[in-house]
Amino acid sequence: MFKRFLTRGLRLAGIGSVAAALMTAAPVLAQDKEPIVFGGSIPLSGVFAFAGVHIHAGLTDYTNWINSQGGINGHPVRYVMEDTGYEVDRSVAAFKKITGSNRVPVYYGDSTGFMKTIASELNSRGTTLMSGASFATALTDNQTYPYQFIPGPNYTQMFGIILEYIAMQGQEGDKPTVAFVYSDTEFGKDPIENGKAKAAEMGIKVVEEIVTKPGSVDVSAEVLKLRRARPDYVVFHGYILSPINEFMVQMRQMGLDTQFMGTFWSSDKLIIDRMGADADGYMGVMPYNYYDSAEGGPMLEALRSQAQKSDPDAGYRPTAYMQGWFNAMVWTEVVKRTLDAGKELTGDNLAASLASIQDWDTGGIIGVPVTVRDMSFPVGRIWRVNAKEASYEPVSDWIHLN
Amino acid sequence: MDWLFFGEISLAGLAMGGLYGLIGLGFVIIYKATRVINFAIGEIMMFAAYLFLAFAGGMEMSPWVALPLAVLGGSVLGGVIEKVMIRPMLGESSISVVMVTIGLASILVGLVELGWGADPQLLPEFLPRKPVFLGELYLAPKIAYGFLIGATLLLVYLLYFRFSRGGVALRATASDQAAAYSMGINVRRVFNLAWVFGSLAASLAGVLVAATGGLSPQFGAVGLSVLVVVIVGGLDSILGALIAGLFIGWLETVAGAYLGGQYRMPATFAVLAVILVLRPYGLFGTHEIERV
Repeated sequence: MFKRFLTRGLRLAGIGSVAAALMTAAPVLAQDKEPIVFGGSIPLSGVFAFAGVHIHAGLTDYTNWINSQGGINGHPVRYVMEDTGYEVDRSVAAFKKITGSNRVPVYYGDSTGFMKTIASELNSRGTTLMSGASFATALTDNQTYPYQFIPGPNYTQMFGIILEYIAMQGQEGDKPTVAFVYSDTEFGKDPIENGKAKAAEMGIKVVEEIVTKPGSVDVSAEVLKLRRARPDYVVFHGYILSPINEFMVQMRQMGLDTQFMGTFWSSDKLIIDRMGADADGYMGVMPYNYYDSAEGGPMLEALRSQAQKSDPDAGYRPTAYMQGWFNAMVWTEVVKRTLDAGKELTGDNLAASLASIQDWDTGGIIGVPVTVRDMSFPVGRIWRVNAKEASYEPVSDWIHLN
Repeated sequence: MDWLFFGEISLAGLAMGGLYGLIGLGFVIIYKATRVINFAIGEIMMFAAYLFLAFAGGMEMSPWVALPLAVLGGSVLGGVIEKVMIRPMLGESSISVVMVTIGLASILVGLVELGWGADPQLLPEFLPRKPVFLGELYLAPKIAYGFLIGATLLLVYLLYFRFSRGGVALRATASDQAAAYSMGINVRRVFNLAWVFGSLAASLAGVLVAATGGLSPQFGAVGLSVLVVVIVGGLDSILGALIAGLFIGWLETVAGAYLGGQYRMPATFAVLAVILVLRPYGLFGTHEIERV
């Protein structure tokens, strides 16, 4: 117990206070070239800490790995971060502090709220390209957020991928019916209107729409509504774990054969670890291969090897880790393309380099070559929980939206 | 109108309201005896739920052993908080004491994050999973059995406060501290007892609510949301907490079912606003209550 206490403590709290110092001590490369700084407002504490610690680990491991490969065009990489507690004001303060004392071409934002708040400053500075934990649809509006991108599909695109999959399950021309269940938050509401429009366009009937109060205690009334609507599929959005488990268990207790699906943040292995056998059959859309999937590729192997090297006892690495790693991978690619073109690392040049990414081989992190569209990577795959194997298994091909 | 549906959601709302009442009881017992609004009640609930997780999950004890142990742990925590943090504040302004409870809430969240991490958790299943039917009306089993367990504790409390020496001392202290003191009642002990009993009710509610809605270090927000219940019922009224708990639980569920989940909170806050205008001391509260 004490060992566990210490381990958790080190991962969650200790990291917060010493990480910035440790990160600046990235392996020193032989080159004299100026380091390239990866900045980050990272939620090591607060409501998003469960993901923040893994995002941090992914960014840290990638930094160490790229430095072991000679950095970016000979420039060493330095990862400088601050814990934000997932509070916008602290994220902004961290951004100002880090960018005030470093030249930061790329930066990790910990929330949609922060990324929207910092947008005007980012636009006026024109020095930094930002991505982060957010998959918000709004951030792919290039006019308002020209220096921000999404490290995967945005939430509307995730719904698009889910609906494409659902449409394919129809038999003899009959399209399955669907219900959307989402939290009453900006995060939860993000893809709903676009999702309904997309469903209508595809001929899929949305038979029920359930909004749950944040931190909802009991959802049995909502389950009763779904029992009457009897959707073939329920798509959850805006949750990490609860109340997905309660919906699934109660609807199955009622004898319904509904299938359950979710978006990125509710498609981690946490669902399997916590729900056990009840998670069987749950499906999620995921732009990255899972850490323990049967898929391979040079970058995926490098990730696994680096993860093992940095913390041999950690075992499985969650999707937040993959997300952190992929963010840093994209930054590297964008910085490299900009440097290769002999251009300065400005927001405009970095954004142009990002937009030039076409059929990019991610080395197995994403299973197909990807193309950037509207500052996002609109690709994903549907994975299904095999509770017996305690893992997600792919049930669709990679779906790349145009 | 689909009356079967209305009956089912009403039942679900009332059962949930019973748990709200139990949490409200945790607020009221402490306030009634000590005049302290305990803003850390949600974190005490959370702490007890994590204890249950440790006993039933980590140590693999039988849930029926883990449940009383966790509830006991939560109530002991309440007693210790009173002795170590609240008693030294006697004589200080009520705002200072409230600030102590708010600070305490942050400390408990930090301790839980250190001990169990920030990941969301589910408690080991311990309530029957077979659906409950009252006639044709369906009720989710966790809510139904949670309500029964909570109602049992409420009954025990009501009997205790009515007939036992400790209960009479607590009521006497709540009515008039000086008179209780002059009659030989150990008022300090009563204060401690109030924190223990209040935390015990909150702890049981914590485990039952977490069994349904999951657990995370942010779980304490549930406790704070029940503040509406005790303000509507009356900060110093046990009966008020119970009736308001049932009513708010029902209203919130019906509003959510017919108007949409986004109207759950506006519905309860609309009731709160009306009550504050018409009866600022709550439906069953004492007129002289000092507000913070």
